[in-house]
Amino acid sequence: MNQLFQFLLRQRNLLLFILLQVISLWAVFNYNNYQHTLYFNTTNSWAASILSTRQEVATYHQLRDINGELALENQQLHQQVFQLQAQVQQKADLPVFFSKASLDRYKPIACKVIDQSTRNSQNYLTIEKGYQDGIRPGMAVISSTGVVGKVISCTPNLALIVSVLHTSNTVSAKIKSSGELGYIKWPGYQPEVAELMDVSKYKKVVKGDTIVTSDYNAVYPPNIPIGIVAKVGLQDDGTFHDIKVMLLTHFSTLRYVYVIENKFAGQQATLDQAKPKID
Amino acid sequence: MNATFQYKWWIAVILTIVVQLLFLRDLALFYYGFCFLYVWAIIKAPIETPPAYLILGGFVLGWLLDVFYNTHGMHAFATVLVAWLRPTFFNILTPANGYDERSSISLAEMKWMWFFPYLGLMLFTHHLVLFLLEASDMSMFGLSLWKAFLSTLLGIAVFSLLELFNKGK
Repeated sequence: MNQLFQFLLRQRNLLLFILLQVISLWAVFNYNNYQHTLYFNTTNSWAASILSTRQEVATYHQLRDINGELALENQQLHQQVFQLQAQVQQKADLPVFFSKASLDRYKPIACKVIDQSTRNSQNYLTIEKGYQDGIRPGMAVISSTGVVGKVISCTPNLALIVSVLHTSNTVSAKIKSSGELGYIKWPGYQPEVAELMDVSKYKKVVKGDTIVTSDYNAVYPPNIPIGIVAKVGLQDDGTFHDIKVMLLTHFSTLRYVYVIENKFAGQQATLDQAKPKID
Repeated sequence: MNATFQYKWWIAVILTIVVQLLFLRDLALFYYGFCFLYVWAIIKAPIETPPAYLILGGFVLGWLLDVFYNTHGMHAFATVLVAWLRPTFFNILTPANGYDERSSISLAEMKWMWFFPYLGLMLFTHHLVLFLLEASDMSMFGLSLWKAFLSTLLGIAVFSLLELFNKGK
């Protein structure tokens, strides 16, 4: 017993080292279990307050850019108002397959970004609204110009968003003009460029095509812009196009985002549970 | 080591952390070069610091960074690793006449033949482990290696500059 104790005493540095490495690795690999590590990220209240102050200073210096974006957004919204007014008049004669409830299926919630990263391989954002404002994990997040990401965890007043700039956060997408389906994946560097995967080389893709979210998307509403095709090539295996997409969201200067509440999300989840499990 | 030196050292550590969290967070040189100034605390800790303190300190420091970077444990892992490896690096790099009890880790005192390899080893180990963990994907090994290499070069440049400023005082 005494020998054991002496051995432990002699090796205390090694043991301390191993213990701390195990704790760190546990944190790394348990992260998907949000509840456990909820308070060890930027939704932690004191970390958030420091970052919020920092962001306020940064925002002040970017007012000009933000103004420009707001003006542009206003313009687009006006345009939409006109389009919608036209639609409302025709509401009585919607096609038979059209569900009236789906007209107000999505509801945007405007939020302020208090922290974001674009330079890591896996990027996250923190926003200043949480449970109490109706935000729930799984909701889509978009900006005035395009998709941003997905909410992964919430505290009462803050929420953490996994950005599209994350190598495992893929977005189901389609080419707007042809309707060709694929998915958007970020390769882990360059916050302006992502790749459109799974588009067969026999389909026609042209530089300048707009990529939008697809209709078969569990997270995002359909037809939200994602990016513009910047380069078309052929992948090494020769079956798919290698398409580089310029993202429309300017992640590095993102200050305000919209979280999209999907009124059908609960129903969809219930239906998914009812699917027979075939293994 | 006298009291004023320690007091100066703690201020410097806090400064490096603040600069890291508020200014260097979003900074990247050509997309690949990152500056992790906070490792300063581990690199410049006095030679005779007990390893246990260094390891524990590294963990606390890394964990703090993790909270702000949303990296949950990755910085802690990398920092504890270099804190633990530091004595080994000292052994590898022993100068011809051994370590002086009172010598401190600085460019002025250890000369560049010792200081640059030491910086390189510490920074490269830390950055490589960090980028590999962060990428969490072996297919990105080349990218991580490249990032670690460029970041180490940037780190050596920044830390040497700090040393030159120190020397002037």
